[in-house]
Amino acid sequence: MKRLTAILGLTAAGLTVLVTGLAPFLWFNVFTGAVSAAGLRIDPVYTGGEPARVIARQGYQIIIYHPVPQRALLPRIGPFVQLAWKPAAALPARVTEEIDLDNDNKPDLVASFDVPRDTKTDLRVDVQPLTPRVLAMSGVGQDSFSRLIARVNDAIVVRVPLRNAGK
Amino acid sequence: MPNEPKSKPRAVRTVSRSALLTLPMALFGLLMFSRTLALPGAAAKMAGLAAWLFMAGLFFFMMRTFETYRWRRIFFVTLGFLFPVGFIWDLISLRSSMSIPIEKMLSGDTPFCFLVIPMTIIPAALTKTIIFPGSILPTASNPHAIATMVALWVLATLVLGKAWCSFGCFFGGLEEGFSALAKKARINKINPRWRLVPWAVLAAIVLLSAATFEPTYCRWLCPFKTVTEYPEVRSVETAIQAGIFLSLFSGLVVVLPVLTKRRTQCAFFCPFGAFQSLFNKITAFDIRIDRDKCADCVSCQNSCPTLALDKDSIGRGKTLLACMKCGACVDVCHKGAAVWHVKGTAPNASPERARLLYLYGAWAFATMFGGDIIASSLQKLFGLVV
Repeated sequence: MKRLTAILGLTAAGLTVLVTGLAPFLWFNVFTGAVSAAGLRIDPVYTGGEPARVIARQGYQIIIYHPVPQRALLPRIGPFVQLAWKPAAALPARVTEEIDLDNDNKPDLVASFDVPRDTKTDLRVDVQPLTPRVLAMSGVGQDSFSRLIARVNDAIVVRVPLRNAGK
Repeated sequence: MPNEPKSKPRAVRTVSRSALLTLPMALFGLLMFSRTLALPGAAAKMAGLAAWLFMAGLFFFMMRTFETYRWRRIFFVTLGFLFPVGFIWDLISLRSSMSIPIEKMLSGDTPFCFLVIPMTIIPAALTKTIIFPGSILPTASNPHAIATMVALWVLATLVLGKAWCSFGCFFGGLEEGFSALAKKARINKINPRWRLVPWAVLAAIVLLSAATFEPTYCRWLCPFKTVTEYPEVRSVETAIQAGIFLSLFSGLVVVLPVLTKRRTQCAFFCPFGAFQSLFNKITAFDIRIDRDKCADCVSCQNSCPTLALDKDSIGRGKTLLACMKCGACVDVCHKGAAVWHVKGTAPNASPERARLLYLYGAWAFATMFGGDIIASSLQKLFGLVV
Protein backbone atom coordinates (compact mmCIF):
# COMPACT_ATOMS: atom_id res chain seq x y z
CA MET A 1 0.00 0.00 0.00
CA LYS A 2 2.81 2.41 0.91
CA ARG A 3 4.46 1.66 -2.41
CA LEU A 4 1.24 2.32 -4.27
CA THR A 5 0.65 5.67 -2.57
CA ALA A 6 4.26 6.61 -3.26
CA ILE A 7 3.84 5.77 -6.96
CA LEU A 8 0.59 7.74 -7.09
CA GLY A 9 2.19 10.71 -5.34
CA LEU A 10 5.20 10.76 -7.64
CA THR A 11 2.96 10.38 -10.69
CA ALA A 12 0.88 13.36 -9.56
CA ALA A 13 4.08 15.36 -8.98
CA GLY A 14 5.38 14.44 -12.44
CA LEU A 15 2.05 15.37 -14.03
CA THR A 16 2.22 18.74 -12.30
CA VAL A 17 5.52 19.46 -14.02
CA LEU A 18 4.19 18.20 -17.35
CA VAL A 19 1.01 20.29 -17.16
CA THR A 20 2.98 23.45 -16.36
CA GLY A 21 5.41 22.83 -19.20
CA LEU A 22 2.62 22.33 -21.71
CA ALA A 23 0.34 25.06 -20.36
CA PRO A 24 1.52 27.90 -22.62
CA PHE A 25 0.82 25.81 -25.71
CA LEU A 26 -2.45 24.08 -24.84
CA TRP A 27 -4.01 25.20 -21.62
CA PHE A 28 -5.05 28.78 -22.37
CA ASN A 29 -6.80 28.03 -25.66
CA VAL A 30 -8.62 25.04 -24.18
CA PHE A 31 -9.64 26.94 -21.06
CA THR A 32 -10.73 30.09 -22.90
CA GLY A 33 -12.83 27.93 -25.21
CA ALA A 34 -14.42 26.20 -22.22
CA VAL A 35 -15.23 29.52 -20.52
CA SER A 36 -16.71 30.79 -23.76
CA ALA A 37 -18.85 27.67 -24.09
CA ALA A 38 -20.06 27.96 -20.50
CA GLY A 39 -22.10 31.01 -21.50
CA LEU A 40 -20.78 33.28 -18.76
CA ARG A 41 -21.33 37.01 -19.26
CA ILE A 42 -20.46 40.20 -17.49
CA ASP A 43 -23.07 41.46 -15.04
CA PRO A 44 -25.54 43.76 -16.86
CA VAL A 45 -24.94 46.41 -14.20
CA TYR A 46 -21.65 47.01 -16.06
CA THR A 47 -22.63 46.17 -19.65
CA GLY A 48 -26.10 47.69 -19.57
CA GLY A 49 -27.70 44.40 -20.58
CA GLU A 50 -28.88 43.26 -23.98
CA PRO A 51 -30.07 45.67 -26.69
CA ALA A 52 -33.85 45.46 -27.19
CA ARG A 53 -34.28 47.61 -30.28
CA VAL A 54 -32.71 50.34 -32.33
CA ILE A 55 -34.33 53.61 -33.42
CA ALA A 56 -32.77 55.16 -36.52
CA ARG A 57 -32.42 58.93 -36.63
CA GLN A 58 -30.85 61.25 -39.19
CA GLY A 59 -27.15 60.25 -39.07
CA TYR A 60 -27.26 58.45 -35.76
CA GLN A 61 -29.22 55.81 -33.89
CA ILE A 62 -30.62 55.27 -30.43
CA ILE A 63 -30.19 51.81 -28.91
CA ILE A 64 -32.73 50.93 -26.25
CA TYR A 65 -31.62 48.13 -23.94
CA HIS A 66 -33.73 45.70 -21.94
CA PRO A 67 -34.32 47.04 -18.43
CA VAL A 68 -31.83 45.73 -15.87
CA PRO A 69 -33.78 44.60 -12.82
CA GLN A 70 -32.65 44.75 -9.23
CA ARG A 71 -31.37 41.27 -8.38
CA ALA A 72 -29.28 41.52 -5.26
CA LEU A 73 -30.55 40.79 -1.76
CA LEU A 74 -28.90 43.96 -0.46
CA PRO A 75 -29.08 46.14 -3.54
CA ARG A 76 -27.01 49.28 -3.87
CA ILE A 77 -27.89 49.75 -7.48
CA GLY A 78 -31.56 50.09 -8.38
CA PRO A 79 -33.22 48.94 -11.60
CA PHE A 80 -32.41 51.00 -14.67
CA VAL A 81 -32.64 51.04 -18.42
CA GLN A 82 -29.73 51.93 -20.66
CA LEU A 83 -30.04 54.10 -23.74
CA ALA A 84 -27.18 54.72 -26.13
CA TRP A 85 -26.85 57.38 -28.80
CA LYS A 86 -24.25 56.56 -31.43
CA PRO A 87 -22.11 57.68 -33.06
CA ALA A 88 -21.66 60.56 -30.66
CA ALA A 89 -19.87 62.57 -33.32
CA ALA A 90 -23.04 62.70 -35.42
CA LEU A 91 -25.26 64.06 -32.66
CA PRO A 92 -26.58 67.64 -32.71
CA ALA A 93 -25.30 70.15 -30.13
CA ARG A 94 -28.37 69.47 -27.97
CA VAL A 95 -30.32 66.25 -27.92
CA THR A 96 -33.92 66.16 -26.74
CA GLU A 97 -35.69 62.89 -27.42
CA GLU A 98 -38.93 61.27 -26.44
CA ILE A 99 -38.21 57.60 -25.81
CA ASP A 100 -40.68 54.76 -25.89
CA LEU A 101 -39.06 52.09 -23.73
CA ASP A 102 -41.55 49.26 -24.16
CA ASN A 103 -42.53 49.85 -27.80
CA ASP A 104 -46.20 50.54 -26.97
CA ASN A 105 -46.20 53.70 -29.12
CA LYS A 106 -46.42 55.89 -26.01
CA PRO A 107 -43.33 57.77 -24.91
CA ASP A 108 -42.07 56.86 -21.43
CA LEU A 109 -39.57 59.66 -20.93
CA VAL A 110 -37.96 62.72 -22.41
CA ALA A 111 -34.16 62.74 -22.24
CA SER A 112 -32.17 65.87 -22.95
CA PHE A 113 -28.48 66.62 -22.84
CA ASP A 114 -25.90 68.86 -24.46
CA VAL A 115 -23.21 67.32 -26.66
CA PRO A 116 -20.08 69.44 -26.27
CA ARG A 117 -17.56 69.05 -29.07
CA ASP A 118 -14.77 68.84 -26.51
CA THR A 119 -14.99 65.18 -25.47
CA LYS A 120 -13.35 65.92 -22.12
CA THR A 121 -16.22 68.18 -20.99
CA ASP A 122 -18.46 66.54 -18.38
CA LEU A 123 -21.89 65.56 -19.60
CA ARG A 124 -25.16 66.24 -17.76
CA VAL A 125 -28.56 64.74 -18.50
CA ASP A 126 -32.16 65.62 -17.63
CA VAL A 127 -34.86 62.97 -17.76
CA GLN A 128 -38.50 63.89 -17.48
CA PRO A 129 -40.68 60.85 -16.77
CA LEU A 130 -43.88 60.45 -18.73
CA THR A 131 -44.91 57.19 -17.08
CA PRO A 132 -44.76 56.21 -13.38
CA ARG A 133 -42.11 53.50 -13.83
CA VAL A 134 -39.45 56.04 -14.88
CA LEU A 135 -37.70 58.17 -12.25
CA ALA A 136 -36.71 61.77 -12.96
CA MET A 137 -33.12 62.99 -13.29
CA SER A 138 -32.04 66.59 -13.30
CA GLY A 139 -28.53 67.66 -14.22
CA VAL A 140 -27.16 64.18 -13.46
CA GLY A 141 -23.56 63.34 -14.39
CA GLN A 142 -22.29 60.05 -13.00
CA ASP A 143 -24.15 59.52 -9.73
CA SER A 144 -24.15 55.71 -9.79
CA PHE A 145 -24.35 52.79 -12.20
CA SER A 146 -28.11 53.30 -12.45
CA ARG A 147 -28.09 57.12 -12.86
CA LEU A 148 -25.52 58.40 -15.29
CA ILE A 149 -24.48 59.81 -18.61
CA ALA A 150 -21.08 58.82 -20.04
CA ARG A 151 -19.15 58.60 -23.27
CA VAL A 152 -18.50 54.90 -23.92
CA ASN A 153 -16.42 54.21 -27.01
CA ASP A 154 -18.23 56.08 -29.82
CA ALA A 155 -21.58 56.36 -28.00
CA ILE A 156 -23.18 58.52 -25.36
CA VAL A 157 -24.79 56.24 -22.81
CA VAL A 158 -27.60 57.32 -20.50
CA ARG A 159 -28.89 55.15 -17.68
CA VAL A 160 -32.33 56.01 -16.44
CA PRO A 161 -33.45 54.74 -13.03
CA LEU A 162 -36.70 52.81 -12.95
CA ARG A 163 -39.12 52.35 -10.11
CA ASN A 164 -38.92 48.97 -8.44
CA ALA A 165 -41.65 46.61 -9.60
CA GLY A 166 -44.36 46.47 -6.95
CA LYS A 167 -43.68 49.97 -5.56
CA MET B 1 10.98 37.36 8.96
CA PRO B 2 12.40 37.40 12.47
CA ASN B 3 15.02 34.81 11.59
CA GLU B 4 16.45 35.10 8.13
CA PRO B 5 17.28 31.66 6.76
CA LYS B 6 21.06 31.54 7.00
CA SER B 7 22.99 29.28 4.70
CA LYS B 8 23.62 25.91 6.23
CA PRO B 9 27.10 24.51 5.90
CA ARG B 10 26.03 22.22 3.10
CA ALA B 11 27.86 20.91 0.06
CA VAL B 12 27.15 22.67 -3.20
CA ARG B 13 26.44 20.94 -6.48
CA THR B 14 29.10 21.08 -9.13
CA VAL B 15 28.70 23.83 -11.71
CA SER B 16 28.28 21.34 -14.54
CA ARG B 17 25.60 19.34 -12.74
CA SER B 18 23.79 22.53 -11.69
CA ALA B 19 23.94 23.77 -15.29
CA LEU B 20 22.56 20.47 -16.53
CA LEU B 21 19.65 20.68 -14.12
CA THR B 22 19.05 24.30 -15.17
CA LEU B 23 19.08 23.51 -18.89
CA PRO B 24 15.41 22.43 -19.23
CA MET B 25 14.27 25.52 -17.35
CA ALA B 26 16.56 27.77 -19.40
CA LEU B 27 15.12 26.34 -22.64
CA PHE B 28 11.57 26.76 -21.35
CA GLY B 29 12.43 30.34 -20.40
CA LEU B 30 13.86 31.01 -23.85
CA LEU B 31 10.59 29.83 -25.34
CA MET B 32 8.61 32.04 -22.96
CA PHE B 33 10.69 35.15 -23.60
CA SER B 34 10.94 34.57 -27.36
CA ARG B 35 7.86 36.77 -27.84
CA THR B 36 9.55 39.72 -26.10
CA LEU B 37 12.83 39.00 -27.87
CA ALA B 38 11.05 39.08 -31.23
CA LEU B 39 9.50 42.51 -30.62
CA PRO B 40 11.02 45.39 -32.57
CA GLY B 41 13.43 47.72 -30.78
CA ALA B 42 16.53 47.31 -28.66
CA ALA B 43 14.62 47.87 -25.39
CA ALA B 44 12.44 44.80 -25.96
CA LYS B 45 15.41 42.61 -26.87
CA MET B 46 17.37 43.82 -23.84
CA ALA B 47 14.37 43.25 -21.57
CA GLY B 48 13.72 39.75 -22.92
CA LEU B 49 17.36 38.81 -22.56
CA ALA B 50 17.64 40.30 -19.06
CA ALA B 51 14.48 38.56 -17.87
CA TRP B 52 15.62 35.23 -19.31
CA LEU B 53 19.08 35.48 -17.74
CA PHE B 54 17.52 36.57 -14.46
CA MET B 55 15.11 33.63 -14.24
CA ALA B 56 17.57 31.02 -15.51
CA GLY B 57 20.34 32.44 -13.31
CA LEU B 58 18.26 32.26 -10.14
CA PHE B 59 17.25 28.70 -10.95
CA PHE B 60 20.89 27.82 -11.46
CA PHE B 61 21.73 29.13 -7.98
CA MET B 62 18.84 27.16 -6.51
CA MET B 63 20.32 24.06 -8.04
CA ARG B 64 23.88 24.89 -7.04
CA THR B 65 23.26 25.86 -3.42
CA PHE B 66 20.32 23.55 -2.57
CA GLU B 67 18.62 26.67 -1.23
CA THR B 68 15.21 27.88 -2.35
CA TYR B 69 14.06 30.80 -0.25
CA ARG B 70 16.91 33.24 -0.87
CA TRP B 71 16.77 32.96 -4.68
CA ARG B 72 13.00 32.79 -4.89
CA ARG B 73 12.83 35.94 -2.81
CA ILE B 74 15.03 37.87 -5.26
CA PHE B 75 12.64 36.94 -8.06
CA PHE B 76 9.55 37.59 -5.99
CA VAL B 77 10.56 41.01 -4.68
CA THR B 78 11.67 42.05 -8.18
CA LEU B 79 8.27 40.97 -9.49
CA GLY B 80 6.51 42.79 -6.65
CA PHE B 81 8.25 46.09 -7.37
CA LEU B 82 8.30 45.87 -11.17
CA PHE B 83 4.63 44.95 -11.54
CA PRO B 84 3.29 48.34 -10.36
CA VAL B 85 5.90 50.09 -12.52
CA GLY B 86 4.57 48.44 -15.70
CA PHE B 87 0.94 48.60 -14.65
CA ILE B 88 0.97 52.27 -13.64
CA TRP B 89 3.01 53.08 -16.75
CA ASP B 90 0.27 51.56 -18.92
CA LEU B 91 -2.47 53.40 -17.03
CA ILE B 92 -0.72 56.75 -17.32
CA SER B 93 -0.02 56.26 -21.03
CA LEU B 94 -3.60 55.19 -21.75
CA ARG B 95 -5.57 57.42 -19.39
CA SER B 96 -3.11 59.93 -17.90
CA SER B 97 -4.31 58.80 -14.49
CA MET B 98 -4.28 55.81 -12.13
CA SER B 99 -7.98 56.21 -11.46
CA ILE B 100 -10.43 54.20 -13.48
CA PRO B 101 -13.26 56.30 -14.90
CA ILE B 102 -16.76 54.84 -15.05
CA GLU B 103 -16.56 54.97 -18.87
CA LYS B 104 -13.82 52.32 -18.82
CA MET B 105 -15.88 50.12 -16.50
CA LEU B 106 -18.87 50.35 -18.83
CA SER B 107 -16.77 49.50 -21.88
CA GLY B 108 -15.29 46.39 -20.20
CA ASP B 109 -11.74 47.71 -20.14
CA THR B 110 -10.91 46.93 -16.51
CA PRO B 111 -8.13 44.34 -16.21
CA PHE B 112 -9.31 41.33 -14.20
CA CYS B 113 -7.54 40.68 -10.93
CA PHE B 114 -7.25 37.24 -9.35
CA LEU B 115 -8.28 38.65 -5.95
CA VAL B 116 -11.83 38.93 -7.30
CA ILE B 117 -12.17 35.19 -7.97
CA PRO B 118 -13.64 34.08 -4.59
CA MET B 119 -16.28 36.82 -4.79
CA THR B 120 -17.46 35.87 -8.26
CA ILE B 121 -18.19 32.20 -7.57
CA ILE B 122 -21.64 32.39 -5.94
CA PRO B 123 -23.09 35.03 -8.30
CA ALA B 124 -21.67 33.13 -11.29
CA ALA B 125 -23.20 29.87 -10.07
CA LEU B 126 -26.59 31.51 -9.46
CA THR B 127 -26.86 33.77 -12.51
CA LYS B 128 -24.01 32.88 -14.90
CA THR B 129 -22.80 36.46 -14.62
CA ILE B 130 -19.45 37.79 -13.45
CA ILE B 131 -19.74 40.70 -11.05
CA PHE B 132 -16.74 42.56 -12.42
CA PRO B 133 -16.55 45.28 -15.08
CA GLY B 134 -14.06 43.48 -17.35
CA SER B 135 -14.47 41.32 -20.42
CA ILE B 136 -14.87 37.54 -20.55
CA LEU B 137 -12.52 36.99 -23.49
CA PRO B 138 -9.39 39.01 -24.31
CA THR B 139 -9.89 42.11 -26.45
CA ALA B 140 -7.47 44.58 -28.00
CA SER B 141 -8.23 47.11 -25.26
CA ASN B 142 -8.26 44.56 -22.43
CA PRO B 143 -5.88 41.60 -22.82
CA HIS B 144 -6.24 40.76 -19.10
CA ALA B 145 -9.65 39.22 -19.61
CA ILE B 146 -11.45 37.05 -17.10
CA ALA B 147 -10.98 33.77 -19.01
CA THR B 148 -7.21 34.34 -19.31
CA MET B 149 -6.74 35.21 -15.66
CA VAL B 150 -8.94 32.37 -14.41
CA ALA B 151 -7.02 29.94 -16.65
CA LEU B 152 -3.79 31.15 -15.07
CA TRP B 153 -5.28 30.81 -11.60
CA VAL B 154 -6.56 27.27 -12.19
CA LEU B 155 -3.14 26.25 -13.49
CA ALA B 156 -1.37 27.87 -10.54
CA THR B 157 -3.77 26.26 -8.11
CA LEU B 158 -3.24 22.78 -9.51
CA VAL B 159 0.52 23.18 -9.60
CA LEU B 160 1.20 25.35 -6.58
CA GLY B 161 -1.83 25.47 -4.29
CA LYS B 162 -1.07 28.16 -1.73
CA ALA B 163 2.44 28.47 -3.19
CA TRP B 164 0.75 30.93 -5.57
CA CYS B 165 1.42 33.36 -2.72
CA SER B 166 5.18 32.87 -2.99
CA PHE B 167 5.65 32.32 -6.74
CA GLY B 168 2.79 34.13 -8.46
CA CYS B 169 1.28 36.93 -6.40
CA PHE B 170 3.00 40.16 -7.42
CA PHE B 171 1.32 41.93 -4.51
CA GLY B 172 3.03 39.58 -2.04
CA GLY B 173 6.38 40.52 -3.55
CA LEU B 174 5.96 44.09 -2.32
CA GLU B 175 5.40 42.92 1.24
CA GLU B 176 8.27 40.50 1.07
CA GLY B 177 10.47 43.36 -0.08
CA PHE B 178 9.43 45.62 2.79
CA SER B 179 9.77 42.76 5.30
CA ALA B 180 13.39 42.32 4.20
CA LEU B 181 14.32 45.95 4.86
CA ALA B 182 14.98 45.88 8.61
CA LYS B 183 17.72 43.71 10.10
CA LYS B 184 15.69 42.72 13.15
CA ALA B 185 12.01 42.54 13.91
CA ARG B 186 10.74 45.24 16.29
CA ILE B 187 7.58 43.27 17.00
CA ASN B 188 8.25 39.63 17.80
CA LYS B 189 5.18 38.48 19.70
CA ILE B 190 2.14 38.11 17.51
CA ASN B 191 -1.04 36.53 18.81
CA PRO B 192 -1.70 33.49 16.59
CA ARG B 193 -5.40 34.31 16.62
CA TRP B 194 -4.67 36.98 13.99
CA ARG B 195 -4.28 34.07 11.58
CA LEU B 196 -8.06 33.67 11.65
CA VAL B 197 -8.71 37.17 10.30
CA PRO B 198 -8.21 36.27 6.60
CA TRP B 199 -10.86 33.56 6.96
CA ALA B 200 -13.26 36.05 8.51
CA VAL B 201 -12.53 38.57 5.72
CA LEU B 202 -13.00 35.82 3.12
CA ALA B 203 -16.36 34.73 4.57
CA ALA B 204 -17.52 38.34 4.85
CA ILE B 205 -16.60 39.38 1.31
CA VAL B 206 -17.96 36.21 -0.29
CA LEU B 207 -21.31 36.58 1.48
CA LEU B 208 -21.52 40.35 0.97
CA SER B 209 -20.61 40.03 -2.69
CA ALA B 210 -23.29 37.39 -3.15
CA ALA B 211 -25.81 39.61 -1.38
CA THR B 212 -24.93 42.86 -3.17
CA PHE B 213 -23.72 41.52 -6.52
CA GLU B 214 -20.67 43.72 -6.23
CA PRO B 215 -17.01 42.81 -5.64
CA THR B 216 -17.02 44.09 -2.05
CA TYR B 217 -13.30 43.62 -1.42
CA CYS B 218 -12.36 45.65 -4.49
CA ARG B 219 -14.76 48.42 -3.55
CA TRP B 220 -13.76 48.77 0.06
CA LEU B 221 -10.78 46.76 1.26
CA CYS B 222 -8.09 46.06 -1.33
CA PRO B 223 -4.80 47.60 -0.16
CA PHE B 224 -3.28 47.13 -3.60
CA LYS B 225 -5.59 49.64 -5.24
CA THR B 226 -2.95 52.07 -4.02
CA VAL B 227 -0.42 50.73 -6.53
CA THR B 228 -2.76 49.69 -9.32
CA GLU B 229 -5.99 51.47 -10.14
CA TYR B 230 -8.86 52.83 -8.10
CA PRO B 231 -12.25 54.37 -8.88
CA GLU B 232 -12.07 58.03 -9.73
CA VAL B 233 -12.56 60.14 -6.58
CA ARG B 234 -15.77 61.98 -7.44
CA SER B 235 -17.75 61.70 -4.22
CA VAL B 236 -17.44 61.35 -0.45
CA GLU B 237 -17.84 57.59 -0.83
CA THR B 238 -14.98 57.22 -3.31
CA ALA B 239 -12.83 59.54 -1.16
CA ILE B 240 -13.45 57.27 1.86
CA GLN B 241 -12.59 54.21 -0.26
CA ALA B 242 -9.33 55.81 -1.39
CA GLY B 243 -8.51 56.59 2.25
CA ILE B 244 -9.13 52.98 3.27
CA PHE B 245 -6.96 51.62 0.43
CA LEU B 246 -4.11 53.94 1.34
CA SER B 247 -4.34 53.19 5.09
CA LEU B 248 -4.42 49.42 4.56
CA PHE B 249 -1.53 49.58 2.14
CA SER B 250 0.69 51.71 4.31
CA GLY B 251 -0.17 49.74 7.47
CA LEU B 252 -0.27 46.15 6.28
CA VAL B 253 2.06 46.19 3.28
CA VAL B 254 4.71 48.69 4.34
CA VAL B 255 4.88 49.49 8.07
CA LEU B 256 3.95 46.17 9.70
CA PRO B 257 6.15 44.01 7.44
CA VAL B 258 9.08 46.29 8.31
CA LEU B 259 8.33 46.05 12.05
CA THR B 260 7.58 42.31 12.18
CA LYS B 261 9.65 41.00 9.26
CA ARG B 262 6.57 38.95 8.34
CA ARG B 263 4.19 39.19 5.43
CA THR B 264 1.45 40.73 7.57
CA GLN B 265 -1.10 41.48 4.87
CA CYS B 266 -0.79 37.91 3.55
CA ALA B 267 -0.88 36.31 6.98
CA PHE B 268 -3.46 38.45 8.75
CA PHE B 269 -5.73 39.98 6.14
CA CYS B 270 -5.64 38.60 2.59
CA PRO B 271 -8.87 36.69 1.83
CA PHE B 272 -7.41 35.30 -1.39
CA GLY B 273 -4.56 33.73 0.57
CA ALA B 274 -7.09 32.05 2.85
CA PHE B 275 -9.06 30.86 -0.19
CA GLN B 276 -5.88 29.55 -1.78
CA SER B 277 -5.00 27.63 1.41
CA LEU B 278 -7.95 25.35 0.69
CA PHE B 279 -6.19 24.14 -2.44
CA ASN B 280 -3.04 23.14 -0.58
CA LYS B 281 -4.89 19.88 -0.02
CA ILE B 282 -5.02 19.01 -3.72
CA THR B 283 -1.44 19.72 -4.73
CA ALA B 284 1.19 16.99 -4.87
CA PHE B 285 3.72 18.78 -2.69
CA ASP B 286 4.03 19.90 0.90
CA ILE B 287 6.66 20.49 3.56
CA ARG B 288 7.22 17.99 6.35
CA ILE B 289 9.19 18.05 9.55
CA ASP B 290 11.10 14.83 10.07
CA ARG B 291 10.47 14.16 13.77
CA ASP B 292 13.48 11.85 14.00
CA LYS B 293 15.81 14.70 13.06
CA CYS B 294 13.94 17.63 14.63
CA ALA B 295 15.62 19.25 17.64
CA ASP B 296 12.53 21.35 18.47
CA CYS B 297 14.61 24.52 18.16
CA VAL B 298 11.59 26.24 16.48
CA SER B 299 13.86 28.11 14.09
CA CYS B 300 11.48 26.97 11.34
CA GLN B 301 8.56 28.49 13.22
CA ASN B 302 10.44 31.75 13.70
CA SER B 303 11.43 31.89 10.04
CA CYS B 304 7.93 31.44 8.62
CA PRO B 305 6.68 34.69 7.00
CA THR B 306 3.02 33.73 7.48
CA LEU B 307 3.04 31.90 10.85
CA ALA B 308 2.25 28.60 9.14
CA LEU B 309 4.13 26.60 11.76
CA ASP B 310 3.54 26.34 15.49
CA LYS B 311 4.68 23.92 18.18
CA ASP B 312 1.68 21.62 17.63
CA SER B 313 2.18 21.42 13.89
CA ILE B 314 5.92 20.85 14.30
CA GLY B 315 5.05 18.05 16.73
CA ARG B 316 2.81 16.52 14.08
CA GLY B 317 5.56 16.91 11.49
CA LYS B 318 3.41 19.07 9.22
CA THR B 319 2.88 22.72 8.37
CA LEU B 320 -0.46 24.44 8.84
CA LEU B 321 -2.88 25.03 5.98
CA ALA B 322 -1.49 28.55 5.48
CA CYS B 323 1.91 27.22 4.30
CA MET B 324 2.85 28.92 1.03
CA LYS B 325 5.81 26.65 0.37
CA CYS B 326 8.34 29.48 0.15
CA GLY B 327 11.15 27.29 1.51
CA ALA B 328 12.16 29.53 4.43
CA CYS B 329 11.77 26.79 7.05
CA VAL B 330 13.62 24.22 4.94
CA ASP B 331 16.54 26.56 4.33
CA VAL B 332 16.83 27.63 7.97
CA CYS B 333 16.74 24.13 9.49
CA HIS B 334 20.26 23.17 10.51
CA LYS B 335 19.25 19.60 11.23
CA GLY B 336 17.74 19.00 7.80
CA ALA B 337 14.48 18.08 9.50
CA ALA B 338 12.26 20.46 7.49
CA VAL B 339 12.08 18.92 4.04
CA TRP B 340 10.27 19.17 0.71
CA HIS B 341 7.92 16.24 0.31
CA VAL B 342 5.81 14.54 -2.34
CA LYS B 343 2.51 13.45 -0.82
CA GLY B 344 2.11 9.70 -0.58
CA THR B 345 5.82 9.08 -0.16
CA ALA B 346 7.61 8.55 3.15
CA PRO B 347 8.31 11.87 4.96
CA ASN B 348 12.06 11.58 4.53
CA ALA B 349 12.07 9.95 1.09
CA SER B 350 14.41 11.84 -1.25
CA PRO B 351 13.62 15.41 -0.17
CA GLU B 352 15.88 16.83 -2.88
CA ARG B 353 14.00 14.86 -5.54
CA ALA B 354 10.77 16.33 -4.14
CA ARG B 355 12.28 19.83 -4.18
CA LEU B 356 13.41 19.43 -7.79
CA LEU B 357 10.01 18.20 -8.96
CA TYR B 358 8.32 21.04 -7.08
CA LEU B 359 10.70 23.68 -8.38
CA TYR B 360 10.42 22.61 -12.01
CA GLY B 361 6.66 23.17 -11.86
CA ALA B 362 6.77 26.26 -9.66
CA TRP B 363 9.61 27.95 -11.55
CA ALA B 364 8.06 27.18 -14.92
CA PHE B 365 4.93 28.94 -13.71
CA ALA B 366 6.99 31.79 -12.25
CA THR B 367 8.82 32.20 -15.58
CA MET B 368 5.63 32.07 -17.62
CA PHE B 369 3.68 34.52 -15.44
CA GLY B 370 6.06 36.59 -13.31
CA GLY B 371 8.90 36.49 -15.82
CA ASP B 372 6.61 37.93 -18.48
CA ILE B 373 5.59 40.77 -16.15
CA ILE B 374 9.26 41.46 -15.33
CA ALA B 375 10.20 41.50 -19.03
CA SER B 376 7.33 43.82 -19.88
CA SER B 377 8.19 46.29 -17.12
CA LEU B 378 11.91 46.18 -17.95
CA GLN B 379 11.09 46.91 -21.56
CA LYS B 380 9.38 50.14 -20.50
CA LEU B 381 12.28 51.14 -18.26
CA PHE B 382 14.93 50.30 -20.86
CA GLY B 383 12.89 52.29 -23.36
CA LEU B 384 13.70 55.41 -21.33
CA VAL B 385 17.40 55.10 -21.99
CA VAL B 386 17.73 53.15 -25.24
